Amino acid sequence: MADIKDNETSVVPGEAVGTVAAQSIGEPGTQMVLRTFHSAGTASVVVSKGLPRLIELIDARKRPRFPSMHIYFDKGISSKYEKVREIWRMLEEVRLSSLIKGFDEDLRSATLTLNLDRDKLALYELTSRQIVAKLAKREGLQASAEGDIVKAKINKRESLKSTRTVFVHVLKSAIIGIVGISKAIIQQSEDGTFFIVTAGSNLEEVIKISGIDATRTYSDDPFEVNKVYGIEAARNIIANEIMQTITEEGITVSFRHVGLLADTMCSFGAIKGAGRHGIAGNKESVLARAAFEETVKHFINASVFGERDMLRGTAENILIGKQITLGTGRVRLSVRKSDIAKLSKK
Amino acid sequence: MDEKCIVYLDGRQIGFVKDGAAFAQEIRKARRGGVISGEVNVAYVKKFKEVNVNADRGRVRRPYIIVENGASKLTPDIVEKLKKKEIDFNYLIRRGIIEYLDAGEEENINAALYEKDIGPNTTHLDVDATAMLGLTANSRSFPEYDQIGRHPSANNFMKQSQGLYSINFNKRYDPRAFVLYYPQKPIVSTSTYRTLKMERHASGQNFIVAMSTYYGYNMKDAVILNKAAVDRGLGRSVFFRTYTDEERRYPGTQRDKFAVPTPTMDGYLGEHAYAKLSEDGIIEEELPIEEGEVLIGKVSPPRFLEEQTSFGIAEEKRRDNSVTLRAGEEGTVDSVMISETTGATKIAKVRIRSIRVPEIGDKFASTQGQKGVLSLIVDPQEMPFTKDGIVPDLLLNPHGIPSRMTFGHLLEMLGAKAGAFSAAELDGTPFSSKGKDLVDQYGEVLQKHGFDKFGNEILYDGRTGKRFDANIFTGVVYYSRLWHMTALKLQVRSRGPVQILTHQPTEGKPRRGGLRFGEMERDALVGHGASLLLKERMLDQSDKAELWVCSQCGDIGYFDYIKNTPICLTCGSHDLMMIEISYAFKLLLDEIKTMHILPRIKLKSE
Repeated sequence: MADIKDNETSVVPGEAVGTVAAQSIGEPGTQMVLRTFHSAGTASVVVSKGLPRLIELIDARKRPRFPSMHIYFDKGISSKYEKVREIWRMLEEVRLSSLIKGFDEDLRSATLTLNLDRDKLALYELTSRQIVAKLAKREGLQASAEGDIVKAKINKRESLKSTRTVFVHVLKSAIIGIVGISKAIIQQSEDGTFFIVTAGSNLEEVIKISGIDATRTYSDDPFEVNKVYGIEAARNIIANEIMQTITEEGITVSFRHVGLLADTMCSFGAIKGAGRHGIAGNKESVLARAAFEETVKHFINASVFGERDMLRGTAENILIGKQITLGTGRVRLSVRKSDIAKLSKK
Repeated sequence: MDEKCIVYLDGRQIGFVKDGAAFAQEIRKARRGGVISGEVNVAYVKKFKEVNVNADRGRVRRPYIIVENGASKLTPDIVEKLKKKEIDFNYLIRRGIIEYLDAGEEENINAALYEKDIGPNTTHLDVDATAMLGLTANSRSFPEYDQIGRHPSANNFMKQSQGLYSINFNKRYDPRAFVLYYPQKPIVSTSTYRTLKMERHASGQNFIVAMSTYYGYNMKDAVILNKAAVDRGLGRSVFFRTYTDEERRYPGTQRDKFAVPTPTMDGYLGEHAYAKLSEDGIIEEELPIEEGEVLIGKVSPPRFLEEQTSFGIAEEKRRDNSVTLRAGEEGTVDSVMISETTGATKIAKVRIRSIRVPEIGDKFASTQGQKGVLSLIVDPQEMPFTKDGIVPDLLLNPHGIPSRMTFGHLLEMLGAKAGAFSAAELDGTPFSSKGKDLVDQYGEVLQKHGFDKFGNEILYDGRTGKRFDANIFTGVVYYSRLWHMTALKLQVRSRGPVQILTHQPTEGKPRRGGLRFGEMERDALVGHGASLLLKERMLDQSDKAELWVCSQCGDIGYFDYIKNTPICLTCGSHDLMMIEISYAFKLLLDEIKTMHILPRIKLKSE
């Protein structure tokens, strides 16, 4: 029975699944608008949506414009706001520059004088002592505090330029939080449990925090998921994200098409985009690659390496004017040798 | 410096003033007093602290009545004087009553639309509310009742309409021109229309329109015409096209000559093509003419200089360079003109005339942005008719009205109907009426003549004779025939010319080309897996070529008909096989060869 069902639902041999998938995603894509709308006033994280997000995913951009995470917690924690808040405090990256009222740099003595903002410190429950401790961790830096004034001195002076570079790095350094997460917001789901939505993503560090349920914590950056969980997980992220982006626009596309696209993008073991550096650039046939983009480059390389085009693909067969090997063209007639012998006897 | 205003004259900085606003006002005063030209405009830009004085050309300017101390300077007694023609418009400008402002200066003013709106801060008064519209928009009736999005399209349609574009059209040699047979002036017109005397160049006719469907033939903006009306000349027009040629002079003593070409010439089109030419090589007037026939016979010197032969200078081989009638067109020679250009060369112009009776596919539009394509011409006995026996000229689908919100169309329909019964020309000037009053007014007229006050009528189906259940809105609308016509666009091809370079079919109507089977169309066939259909489109019906390929080295050879054997020039082998391939691919191989890369084709027999 299962066998029959499987036969019924599987694709017919020779079906142009890739072309149909491309058309099925591409045609509704023309109806999507390039402009992204931001909802003003609500406490939310900026997420890219619509066509820009779709392009970002399909092109496999290394750095998405607005990566985001959904962080979930273990059973004991997720319903307790105080505990969630404790973890939340560890997430958001707070830079030294956002904790000060002003600073003064003395390049001659290589001293950076910081005027801390008391209100900001209170918000993050920090003391000037903690900041001094954090700064002192940096190599070749001495730090001392006098009330709100923190002084940081470089031990070994080299050039004025390097001194300035160190100052800039010190101001940019994260005092608390996880690198890459610029904003985190606690939200409550319908069943009363809490979860955190972030702007910026750092899956590797976040799942190390105790109390976080790593099995449910989600990042929408395929490259990060690939780094942490591997290519299969990344494939699912790509497929889900594309699917979600398309569905949000109010367009229905079968998941099969999207899944095929994600599968192809990940079929090399790493995430490849759908451009000339990705799927299209890795085609076997010289003619098919040359027909797409950078014609001359492909022909010259082919001549240098003595490449041979076996004319198996669709694009090259259309180019030379042969019947394509898809659909009705897939069927070949073959004759047994013994039958040929019989025929020739007649 | 901070306190000072920069002064620009025609965009160039010329100095500073302390108080920009006062400075600008001073210039205005001088302009109104006639001290400086009325064409100078000044704008004070508060944001950037600058004064722009402009006196250059190319600025769009519009008139305003000046308001001082809360009172318009155009007083009733001045208007009276104007009416008596004691003074003219220029007087008003000279006296500082009306001034022209450009876009920059308009930013400084506080203008009122109507005299009653003048307040203490008002500086100007609009000449008229209609002044916000252009000439085209102003010459169509009731535009203020239409949805804003219909205005641009309505104006475009008016520009495309056929009419009496010029009274001396039979003396003119326009490259292409349409003249409507019986132009009428609209029953509902506007003051601008009358002022411009547009009725002398009317571009439409008053159609009797019933807002009814007709057996599904007028779905989606299609319109249906009454055959009787078409036969009586409704929408009939004449199309003129002028063909021009000139006897050019070339370097040296060579020149073109109008003459009947002889069969020995290059590019001779065959005896038949020149049959209608007279001795001077130019066609006679009033001759019917068909596609491909020559209008102006012209012989030109050869394009390249001939090689010297042993007899000295060779006999000049001249070529035929005649002007023929365009592909797919026919007509009658209307007029021939022979003249001389400023360069003292002979020039000939031939004007072809052809009558264009409305046919299926022609485009019609009202002045309200309601366009439609003619889908059927119905015999009068099959058209719906009213109880009085009136058969409408045009059937318009009512579904085109609600979504477009062209209320002006309905108002015109009702108004023109009332106007037709009372034999009155009505006014539809923008912003001059109140919709409800008009409907009441028109309804009264209609009722007086025994009709429904909303324009609805009882109609009977011409086919069955049965009365329609619903009453149908019937009226008169000013319709124009636009110059998008089937006759100029229809084109078919099964076989035909191909491009020399690629051996692929040509593109475009003048070249009898096909429609491009593009990439997306190709993908559609791939998606269906229709491999043989795809091959037929891309190869058999396009650029199929037969090519000899060497089995030894894989390069392209050719068939030597003298030795009766194929030969490969690369390796000298006679072992070649013929393949069927796209000519474009052969071209690609040739191009790769120019890059010093030798593509080899390895053949395998199946």
